[in-house]
Amino acid sequence: MSASLVAQYVMNGAMLGMMYALVAVGFTLFFGVLDVIQFAHGDVVAAGAFAGLLAWAGLSAAGVTSPALLLVAVLLAAALATALLGALVGRFIVLPIKGAPQLNVLLVTLMAGTVLREAIRLFYPGGSQPQRFPALLPSSGWNFGAFHLRLDNVILLAAGALMIVGTHLFITRTRLGLAIRAVAQDEETARTMGIDFRRVVLVTFALGSVLAAFAGVMDGLYYNEVFFGMGLLLGVIGFAAAILGGLGNLYGAIVGGFLFAALQTVGAVALPFASAYKDVFAFGVVIVLMAIRPTGLIGERVSERV
Amino acid sequence: MKAAVAVALLTAFAWFLLRAESQAAVALLLGVGVVAGVLAPRLRMGGGSERLAHGLAFAALLVLAALLREDDFSLLLIARILIVIVACLGLNVQFGYAGVVNFAGASFFGVGGYTAAVLSRSTGMPHLLVLVAGGAAAGLIGTLLLLPVLRTRGHYAALVTIAFALLLRTFLEVNDTLGGPQGLKLPELRVGPLRFNEPVGLGAFEGSFYLRYVALALLVLVLAFAVVQRLERSFAGIALDAVRLDETAAASFGLDVAWWKIAAFTLGNFVTGVAGALSAFMIGFIAPNNYNFAESLIFVSILLLGGIGNPWGLSLATAIVVLLPEKLQVIQEYRFLLFAAMVILILLFRPAGLLPRPMRRLGQVR
Amino acid sequence: MRLAAAALTVALSFAASAKETVRIAFVGPLTGGNSAIGLGGRNSADLAVRLRNADAKAKYHYELVVLDDECKPDAGVQMATRAGSDRTIVAGVTHYCSVVAMATVDTWHRFGVPVIVWGAVLPDITYANDFKEIHRVNGTMINQNEANARLVTGQGYKKFAVIHDTTDYGKGHDKYFTQFVKQDGGQIVGDFGVTADQQDFTAELTQIKALNPEVLYFGGLTPIGVRVRAQMDKLGLKAQFDGTSGIVNDDFIKALGPLAEGVLAFREGAPAEKLPGGKQFLADYQKQAYANPPEAYGPFAYAAAVLLMDAIEKTGPDRKKIVAQLAPAHVKGVESIVGQISFDEHGQNTVPAISKYVVQDGKWVLWEDSEYAAGKRKLAGK
Repeated sequence: MSASLVAQYVMNGAMLGMMYALVAVGFTLFFGVLDVIQFAHGDVVAAGAFAGLLAWAGLSAAGVTSPALLLVAVLLAAALATALLGALVGRFIVLPIKGAPQLNVLLVTLMAGTVLREAIRLFYPGGSQPQRFPALLPSSGWNFGAFHLRLDNVILLAAGALMIVGTHLFITRTRLGLAIRAVAQDEETARTMGIDFRRVVLVTFALGSVLAAFAGVMDGLYYNEVFFGMGLLLGVIGFAAAILGGLGNLYGAIVGGFLFAALQTVGAVALPFASAYKDVFAFGVVIVLMAIRPTGLIGERVSERV
Repeated sequence: MKAAVAVALLTAFAWFLLRAESQAAVALLLGVGVVAGVLAPRLRMGGGSERLAHGLAFAALLVLAALLREDDFSLLLIARILIVIVACLGLNVQFGYAGVVNFAGASFFGVGGYTAAVLSRSTGMPHLLVLVAGGAAAGLIGTLLLLPVLRTRGHYAALVTIAFALLLRTFLEVNDTLGGPQGLKLPELRVGPLRFNEPVGLGAFEGSFYLRYVALALLVLVLAFAVVQRLERSFAGIALDAVRLDETAAASFGLDVAWWKIAAFTLGNFVTGVAGALSAFMIGFIAPNNYNFAESLIFVSILLLGGIGNPWGLSLATAIVVLLPEKLQVIQEYRFLLFAAMVILILLFRPAGLLPRPMRRLGQVR
Repeated sequence: MRLAAAALTVALSFAASAKETVRIAFVGPLTGGNSAIGLGGRNSADLAVRLRNADAKAKYHYELVVLDDECKPDAGVQMATRAGSDRTIVAGVTHYCSVVAMATVDTWHRFGVPVIVWGAVLPDITYANDFKEIHRVNGTMINQNEANARLVTGQGYKKFAVIHDTTDYGKGHDKYFTQFVKQDGGQIVGDFGVTADQQDFTAELTQIKALNPEVLYFGGLTPIGVRVRAQMDKLGLKAQFDGTSGIVNDDFIKALGPLAEGVLAFREGAPAEKLPGGKQFLADYQKQAYANPPEAYGPFAYAAAVLLMDAIEKTGPDRKKIVAQLAPAHVKGVESIVGQISFDEHGQNTVPAISKYVVQDGKWVLWEDSEYAAGKRKLAGK
């Protein structure tokens, strides 16, 4: 196994890890703020990717050809769609049953995710088939032996890292971020301090979903393809990654995402069975880790009423 | 008396619905059904002893099967409904009684089916025993799955079962010993001298071979129903309720929460596995794609629609969920969307479901 | 005048409705990644039924019951059970996906429904059983892969890597292609099995790239064929892409755009225009203005439907009698738009012609007619 081959695998893993990390950060934000598992998150990612695709299709049909312009349009459309969907789910599905057992919220969001997924499959033209996602980034690359370093992958990684750093700065340096952290720590006290709970919740949902939008577009650009079911596995992996890192912990989510991708890559390459087993392997390890350290690798922020 | 009339009307309705050919007729019947459903609580058609209700339901099914004895497809539907009720009874023990969420119901159903396939193809085990073995395998795998996350919070179990649901399919597809993506075919079900794939002929009485499956499914359902009801009415039921409602309080009363959860999970999966084994024999074929996550969600939808914890509600919901897409062709494509949306509405506005579980009357514990 | 015409129409419709209605099932992938072919097959069978119903000499009025097997074995078995348990359906034109056809043979046999396969190429469908109900008008994958191996080794390629899906279909292609390539002096440097709905092929393709093959042979269907080809490009793998009948459809080209250029593929049977009855078929097809073209296997679905209806005309709507009518003794050299149909003792029709295709300028072009064969364009690595 030459060094360049290893580099290729590391690159593949890093791309996946970035996508998972973005989705996991969403899960962890929702849990931190509302103590809920928003299981429609993965399908919101898919919806974002499809919204971007629609924007691209519309603009291309209208004659726009500049890739940079199309890319911006795709990202904007995806972000708007997911922010809207996320806020809607938060406002009409999660908030009304906030007091109910946590399991009910999980169920309701799971069903909401199913509704989204099926809606894409049924109402997007040709939705049951994978759709070609345009290649909007420069496709040039450099060869280092068996390692083919593509410019678009580098751009995607850099952009993903920027988004995460941006989220971190938002949460730690702005007033709204402070409000979010306050609500995450203690909802009642935050409310008595005059923080508009509803607004904070909706902003959090929107923010988490916008990250998801980026993950969706990234997924589409990386594989050149989107399909209606792409959100399901992505959501489960993101959820697992968030748990692995410790629910409620932003850095834990990022670590969890990359860890899962690393497990998948190791499973696909280093182990003697078919690469289709990589998910089984990765989840198996995750379950074992969860049994050993239930609060996650970095620590879950949990407050439980007895 | 009122109960008998109600059951007779229901049977007639079911017969009409199953025989209906045109979409217009089906739509009309469904309209009648909805109206009746809304009016029924007002008219107080229910009441009477539990034994009577069971007996009447049993008799009604027999009459229906006899009336439809030539109609392969309707009998197939009836058998399928009965089998799914059994599977959901198992899920009900897990979720409705013990509060352990299981998003892999269809996967455990599939474990039962695959066990049945492998055992019946490669060993000479008597087929009734194979059914039991299917249940045992499902129970065992479920136990192994839940063990690591027993002492953690609810959403871990949710994650584990969702991951299992998604991954079992991948695992089966890559595995050639278990048939791979094109699945496995099962030999004919045989119980003693009865051959389940031969048409039924008793003198002048001729019928489709599905009659035997309906009979067997009914038998299994009666058994499962009895077991689950006994469980609910016993001290075990009370313990499970306590665990579901408040783990901390239950623990402080000396209940071993982890033990009860695992016991409920295993029993539930056993029942689901048996149903899966029977279903596999009936269709004669299984493939990994039969048992995917969407199907598991349908099972969960049935539980939530019918009313968590209520076996009768569950039965009604199963009939609706299985029959509707088959009869009303236009919604066949949309059934996942439709049922998911219905569940969201139910959870938001009527979390107790169609037929809520009645409050436990502790004074009457036998 | 108008009154007379109206009266005539009413009289004719009465006469038409005096005929008994006979129902035939059509089963194919109408949704999912192979839907283009499924819809083409459905339209072709529908065309056959319409033309027959317009024929006043036909004894019966035919109704086509369309069922979607989604290219999934479980859905296929469900549809077969539904059709089989419906006593009014007397015969079936069934299946494009080999996996589904394999799964349903037992079900059709159990209900005694005579079926003719129109698009599945796995040999086992007819050869692994002795069921009298199962027939097939299209060819099997054996000849296809033999021609494939001959052409690519003839072009001078020596090192081959294989990606195939893990269904019997993909494994069948793998088996036959490997056998013929080795016979023709080629070398298989790597063989990888993937699941039929796999998303990410970077692991396999990275390993293949390290093995340096000249040709990547793909034994599978369009959905993953598209992904493999696209991801090959992303990883900078420059081998020639060589596929089977599973990718010969317009969706493959549409999904890949310029990446599809130069892709090779093979299938049994000649393209519609070159078939004996092809021109008439295409003309009739155009008149009906269907939303989808017949694609590669439409003519076979048409021929299957015609064969069934001819049998029904002779024996009446009785499943057992139709099965007897389709026995090898009765089907020898029967003329159809795909040429002469003869069933062997396994119900398999022998189709000698193999068509070789290459993608040129966004279309599937016959190899002999292409600029690649003429030397004006070059395949990968040449």
